[in-house]
Amino acid sequence: MLLGERGKATMLDGIGANIERYMDLVSLRQKLVAGNIANADTPGYTTKDIDFQAELQSAMEARDAGIVERTDLPAKSDGNNVSIDREARLLSENALRFSVASQFARGALQAVRSAINGGRNT
Amino acid sequence: MTAPIGPIRPIPIAEPSTPAVGQAKPGEFGSLLDKAISQVEDSRHMANDKVARFLDGKPEELHSVVLTAQRAQLEFELFLEVRNKVVQAYQEIMRMQV
Amino acid sequence: MSLFSVLSVSASGMQVQRTRAELLAENLANAETTRTPEGGAYRRKDAVFASTSVNSPFSSAFDAAMRPEVMGVEVSEVVSDTREPDRRYMPNHPDADKSGYVDFPRVNPAEDMVDLMGAARNYEANVAAISAIKDMIHRSLDLFR
Repeated sequence: MLLGERGKATMLDGIGANIERYMDLVSLRQKLVAGNIANADTPGYTTKDIDFQAELQSAMEARDAGIVERTDLPAKSDGNNVSIDREARLLSENALRFSVASQFARGALQAVRSAINGGRNT
Repeated sequence: MTAPIGPIRPIPIAEPSTPAVGQAKPGEFGSLLDKAISQVEDSRHMANDKVARFLDGKPEELHSVVLTAQRAQLEFELFLEVRNKVVQAYQEIMRMQV
Repeated sequence: MSLFSVLSVSASGMQVQRTRAELLAENLANAETTRTPEGGAYRRKDAVFASTSVNSPFSSAFDAAMRPEVMGVEVSEVVSDTREPDRRYMPNHPDADKSGYVDFPRVNPAEDMVDLMGAARNYEANVAAISAIKDMIHRSLDLFR
């Protein structure tokens, strides 16, 4: 009921399926970053990622997002291609994205609640 | 969320097939209400399911669980407010001298 | 995999980097050790890492089957150097053999120092990951307020 319709921007956007899906994708990406950091020195380990922009555009469930092995990134002599600099950067970016999205959702929840309860005393 | 939000007038819950309350034929309102109740119930069940799955260790995102629970809560509150308004309106009508 | 389980992944990363640092510190401390209880010069030790699935109290068998988990890491083995020791001609050394050669460990202190710094940095990166994940959990819970 409160999930809203695609294509119409309303107050409900902050609590609808879109914001939830965005947070799903950011959360998934962040988990992969954590795994990459943990395996920064594991021989033969390939950096894992998702095509974030593509997944955002697609209509699929976030849980079905394709996990990609980033074989395009340069590898060290033991086959490991994790760049701590890249992962640290992504860690910050994803944290920021999630923070903004959750703030947005919080604000929207509060707004909808005010709208509902504001009519109480008439 | 910058502009202050004013109080909302009672709005029909069961879009899109909801005529204004005054125009409903007898019996139609009852089924509107049933529909609204079942929607609120569905939301509540969905939220409870998500919480149960999450606590079970099944793959549910925490933010998804919270958002679903909050939506169910808001739908319930909305439903309550609309019901209150409807009851108020009914009482006003009954008070009118005919 | 839930955010909570991912905390275990980062924790495993911290653990292996610590083990790596400890072994490097041991190598550095024994860079000139010519005599060991096992006999002969000190042999350097190195940790071999391997990806592993991390079982946390919050994951279930269902969770693991659903989608490939984010992998944690473990030390699969600690290898001792099998190479011939570094032989140096020091006839007056107490551990010199009949020809006057002393066996020294094959430890390059400069290399191990750099590695140690790398281990420290990667340890910190795992700590940062834990911090970021915890923050996301808190922000998700904040939606209740």
